[in-house]
Amino acid sequence: MSDHATDVGVDVAFSPEASFEIEAIKRAAYRFSDRVSVEITEGPTGLRCRLRPLQCKAPGNLNDIAQEFRNEALDQDLRLKISRETEGYRNLILSLAFSKTPLGQ
Amino acid sequence: MSKFQPLASYRAGQTDDYKLLPLRFSELDADRYLLSNFVGEIHVLDKAVAREFFRHRLPSTSAHYAELKSKHFLLDEDSNVAIDLLALKTRTRLERVSQFTGLHLFVVTLRCEHSCPYCQVSRQNDDKTNFDMSVENSERSLDLVFKSPSPHIKIEFQGGEPLLNFRLIRHIVEGAEARNKIEKRNLDFVIATNLAVISNEILDYCRDHSIHISTSLDGPRDLHNKNRPRPGGDSYERATSGIDKVRAALGRDQISAVMTTTNSSLDRVKDIIDEYVSLSFDSIFLRPLSPYGFAVKTKWYDSYDNEKWLKFYFEGIDYIIDLNRKGVQFKETYASTVLTKMLTPFQPGYVDLMSPAGIGIGALLYNYDGAVYASDESRMLAEMGDNRFRLGTVSDEYETLISSDALLDPLEASFAASAPMCSTCAFEPYCGADPVYHHATQGDYVGRKPLSGFCNRNMSIFKGLITRMESDAYTRRLFTRWANR
Repeated sequence: MSDHATDVGVDVAFSPEASFEIEAIKRAAYRFSDRVSVEITEGPTGLRCRLRPLQCKAPGNLNDIAQEFRNEALDQDLRLKISRETEGYRNLILSLAFSKTPLGQ
Repeated sequence: MSKFQPLASYRAGQTDDYKLLPLRFSELDADRYLLSNFVGEIHVLDKAVAREFFRHRLPSTSAHYAELKSKHFLLDEDSNVAIDLLALKTRTRLERVSQFTGLHLFVVTLRCEHSCPYCQVSRQNDDKTNFDMSVENSERSLDLVFKSPSPHIKIEFQGGEPLLNFRLIRHIVEGAEARNKIEKRNLDFVIATNLAVISNEILDYCRDHSIHISTSLDGPRDLHNKNRPRPGGDSYERATSGIDKVRAALGRDQISAVMTTTNSSLDRVKDIIDEYVSLSFDSIFLRPLSPYGFAVKTKWYDSYDNEKWLKFYFEGIDYIIDLNRKGVQFKETYASTVLTKMLTPFQPGYVDLMSPAGIGIGALLYNYDGAVYASDESRMLAEMGDNRFRLGTVSDEYETLISSDALLDPLEASFAASAPMCSTCAFEPYCGADPVYHHATQGDYVGRKPLSGFCNRNMSIFKGLITRMESDAYTRRLFTRWANR
């Protein structure tokens, strides 16, 4: 489905072997929402993102934006992994921080 | 023989088996990441090194290992106090939130004899006394001020031009002092004035009651008078003569000044800073226009974009750094506020850079008409017809005001640690939520950050300051001084 009269855009694909989380892709899409709209689809060949320039913005070099988007998705995926890995410590530190306040009693 | 063992001996037997502690990272530039944690420690790493660190492959012999450990980014077998220290620092950073409202703004009148086209508070002509606060409302406001649990109470008189209603200022100061004999808070007073109508009588009173003066100075004579018209076209002359009088009567450190950037300021940042230096100020606050009041109505707000202002700002920062290199001790106030958040455990109570947002928690505003607002910007918005951040009136109970939906809804919605993009941003510990700005510009408390002028401006400032610190040892020492003053 396309809501653009002319489908100007570029595809960025993430293969299943790369095991990207869809949450990471969504976060990358949000960060790029001032430049492109991102349509995310999931299929047997992995995740596919169609990047379309916003009508009010100059398209710029879509291939460069696609490369930046891929790097951003990598960063976002790493952030999710770190967040999950450090969740126990985060909760421990916060509970220690508030243990002597009325909230912690 | 050295008195100390070499560093390697402390690493003997140490394995490379470390655990990551909670951290965030953001791109500083094409080659480097900035790492931060929730107590605000920062560390800059090349991207390749950072990825090795995240994958637990950073050897303990790496130059970065000890620093990452000391800043609580990693935990290994002999860092047994890291968790306790992180908890302690977290509590210290959040202490201000539990103290609640310290800044109380009194709009004693909306009258002003200036007619600045960029006025963000929509001032009224100086003959309209129905824009003055009543004595009854000032007393009800004072009752509310002392309901705040904060041990530090700062009462700031705003306008319009507050000195046009000095009689009421005296009434409020004396009322606050009388109440404070029982309350025993740390009580401070500030008058934000253009100094045009200051008199010896007012100066004597300010001296006797330890009242600090904050004034506006936009730069050299021609620029200041162009920005700030008044009858006689002598705003600059009155401001500079007022500065001299205040210093003579109250002391040199009892007056500070702020500037507002207009389109005419953009290519004159050095002139503006030189003006401040020549008037013996030791700091300047380089402020952009805000999207409120006459600044919007007259379209002055739209006369330049973030990119132009940031160029102006960093040209100013670099010039100030050079001045310091030459022996002139001078600082930029916004940078100092940000650097204090970055380089010390302390949290300056600057309303725009607080999360939870500074509205209500950091400041309350009692308007001339008896309305209570969540911040100065909230009443600016109200003067444009948008009462979204009006909490109630001075006749309401304190508890009703601070638990009103008009305060709690934006506080909850805009909390940066859970806002999209902010929640994973390494700069979040230094940034703020500013729901008033985002409501004014995007009609939403949170705002879409990729489109947010607030986010763009602050991210650029954070990156610009860190980049300068990382590339020059002198600048790092200078910024550390700014952070600790």
